[in-house]
Amino acid sequence: MHTPQSLGRRGFLRGVGAAAALTAGGSTLAACGSGKAAAVNKAGNAAQVQLPAYTPLANGPKPDLPGTDAGVPAGFYSYPASPTAAFASPPLSGGKFSAMTPLFTAPPPARGSNPAWQAVEKKLGASVDITMVVGDDFDTKLSTLIAGGGLPDLIQYDGLAGIPTISNLPQFLDSQIADLTEIIGGDKVKDYPHLAAIPKVFWEQCTVAGRLYFIPIPRGISAGAGLFRQDLFAAAGVNSSKDIKNSDDFFTLLKELTNPGKDRYALAGNAGNGGYSGAIFEQIFGVPNKWRLDGGGKLTADIETDEFKAALEFMVKVAKAGCFYPGSQGWTKAKMEDAFQSGKAALIYDGLPALSTSVWATARKIDPNAKLLPFVPFGATGGPGVAWQDNVVFAGTMLKKADPAKLADVMKLADFLAAPFGTEEYLLKTYGVEGTDYTLDADHNPVQTAQGKNDANVTWKYIAAPQLVTYNPGVDDLTDAVHQAYTELVPIALKDPTATLYSPTYSKQGVALYKAVSDTVTQVIGGQSGISAFDDALKTWRSNGGDQIRSEFEQAYASAPKS
Amino acid sequence: MATVEIDAKRTLTGRPPWMERPSRFGRGGKILGIVLISVVVVYPFLAVVATSLSSESDIAASGGLVILPSHPTFDAYRYVFSGGIVSRALWISFAVTVAGTALSMAATIGMAYGLSRRGVVGGRFFLATALFTMLFTPGVIPMFLTVQKLGLYNTLASLVVPSLVSAFNLVVLRSFFMNLPAELLDAARIDGLGDWRTLTRVVLPLSKAVLAVVALFYAVSYWNAFFNALLYLNDTSKWPLALVLRGLVIGGEATSAANEGVVPQQAVQMAVVVVSVVPIAAVYPFLQRYFTKGVLTGAVKG
Repeated sequence: MHTPQSLGRRGFLRGVGAAAALTAGGSTLAACGSGKAAAVNKAGNAAQVQLPAYTPLANGPKPDLPGTDAGVPAGFYSYPASPTAAFASPPLSGGKFSAMTPLFTAPPPARGSNPAWQAVEKKLGASVDITMVVGDDFDTKLSTLIAGGGLPDLIQYDGLAGIPTISNLPQFLDSQIADLTEIIGGDKVKDYPHLAAIPKVFWEQCTVAGRLYFIPIPRGISAGAGLFRQDLFAAAGVNSSKDIKNSDDFFTLLKELTNPGKDRYALAGNAGNGGYSGAIFEQIFGVPNKWRLDGGGKLTADIETDEFKAALEFMVKVAKAGCFYPGSQGWTKAKMEDAFQSGKAALIYDGLPALSTSVWATARKIDPNAKLLPFVPFGATGGPGVAWQDNVVFAGTMLKKADPAKLADVMKLADFLAAPFGTEEYLLKTYGVEGTDYTLDADHNPVQTAQGKNDANVTWKYIAAPQLVTYNPGVDDLTDAVHQAYTELVPIALKDPTATLYSPTYSKQGVALYKAVSDTVTQVIGGQSGISAFDDALKTWRSNGGDQIRSEFEQAYASAPKS
Repeated sequence: MATVEIDAKRTLTGRPPWMERPSRFGRGGKILGIVLISVVVVYPFLAVVATSLSSESDIAASGGLVILPSHPTFDAYRYVFSGGIVSRALWISFAVTVAGTALSMAATIGMAYGLSRRGVVGGRFFLATALFTMLFTPGVIPMFLTVQKLGLYNTLASLVVPSLVSAFNLVVLRSFFMNLPAELLDAARIDGLGDWRTLTRVVLPLSKAVLAVVALFYAVSYWNAFFNALLYLNDTSKWPLALVLRGLVIGGEATSAANEGVVPQQAVQMAVVVVSVVPIAAVYPFLQRYFTKGVLTGAVKG
């Protein structure tokens, strides 16, 4: 089930966490609106905002596999031999900045004992204090800082194109956050050439209530429809998803791939994706990306579509045939990835960014023939499948309100961090200092030293970043395959028509409402409930707030000028 | 009638039934039961230690659960201690635990002793105030604001001061002090001891068991606490071990759910778990003998 699953474990937890933390702070936030609440609550969408004008870099590095303006990441087999300097001299001359980002690794050594951190600041010309917060706890800390005061200059916001993680978002943005339209709207962005080189598709996600508030941290548009073991598929006579004609073919293949005697199953799920990797099946069956918008401006939720029901019925059939690894519904994501890398599962739902040189190396150590590739959805009834624009941006970064001179400096900092792959600056902020944190191999690829693995954990890439690239040094096959997958996925990736619309009910109850439906879906697939339980859950979803969310989104859509 | 026969045998030895040698069957059952319980307890520990000593491909090949590493390696520990992050966090946790426990004990003992004496001015009010915090915990944001206004934000003191006195521990200590024989304290007073010396010379030496337990409660809570650190510390170099561990274990899982694809090595996660469990687990055996007695105090005389 798409909406609840794309929410994922993290999305759900952060929603709940933020809601809990805001129970106490909600009133404070509501007060931030300074009487403009009614005005800013009028929803808008990206079409009416003057987005930054896309201007590709003239002297950027030449990729081995070209990217596109629509968002296909360029591919590089190795790091360019002679990285160019994006800045001849430091863009800032002194000053102190602060930022807040999530952290998904061990914390890096503090600035004093971290040559990589010091080198970035030297090249930038200013010092940056970064508050790094453990991923799951980010929204709790952010809510506390919003209510308690003391927001830093740059703050990551991870609720873009999903459930807002800040309550009364439009009011909060209006009162605390700088409107970027004034600073980088249209051609003004040309003052910041690396930000200008980020295509429009990413900026479109960065608006709320008709204004541009965020700097995007771009990703590859679509997270894909899972990963598959090409070696295992080939043994079953299928070389790629293109060889699968329809859902019957697929069902036969899944049964073929399942061999409990050899401890091998076609599929493995994990607790975070609803247990049954529904996103794979939904994209095959053509389920829309969260909502479907018809010509008259009417919305239909994904769970209300016939396609969803068909996908659900198919999954029930697959589960009944024993194609899911038993018990994998309660696994962690890491355990699911282990099963995939060791060939115990042939197909899993994991994002394209999960494929990397090190993942390949691990799988190849276990089985030298292992081939881990992205799964491009086919159509359940023949023809092409659909994909979703579900990974356009990782998050957005907002700027605390300040005087224009300070904001201009903060933008220079963001522009510095958006220096693209192939530049000296990218190498520095991603890998640290040459010699100390990494060495270059024969193909000019940076190889991290033990110290580098710690030093390079500074979260620069979560403040601002250039467009993503596909770069898997040493495994050209993988780079080719991932690039090819993006090339096929991006054109068929469906937009979420509500991505930049605001619905107060969705903001407050979206998580809980969808959780009820996704729990039922899991039970139906697992065989604990009949399919009629899903129909009941859908009715409850509608009456408890689903219809309200729909009408709020429809209103928001109607009141926004169309492009 | 088998029972009668057994009873007849037992009477022959002249010992009460519970002092009889258990039957072979009963003994075997007990051994089996104890072995099973031990396996259930030891298995997760063993898996954690074994995983921390395995290579990533061994972990993947065994489906994430290693019991006997086929290619044992200390790589994970080397990584954990190489950057200085974990070793620094370990020292911080150690310092916060030692200092925090000492300060908390001092504050709790003082308050509990005062509140255990009759006729202390405002005693009821202070007791009620302490108990109030047990029933109604302050929200995250009021606590944050208090810490900020006290100037404790981004200092290690913010890990200790807000949780200096636990109302539960206060009640346990106060109950224990109240149950000391009043005559003993009267005798001390007649012998010329003031309140301070009565506390240090008479009351505390008699309360070793409960003090050990309360100290352990404090120590464990300081050692495990991550939430205060998460809210009040911006500087990663001040993070205690529990927060670093959380970053590695929970943060990594969250990332992969968001399709970021940066799952930290499981061996590293498990190595940090081992590093964080060993010191506090090492304290238990020394306090074990006090434990039952101390816990009983709180359990039946609260």
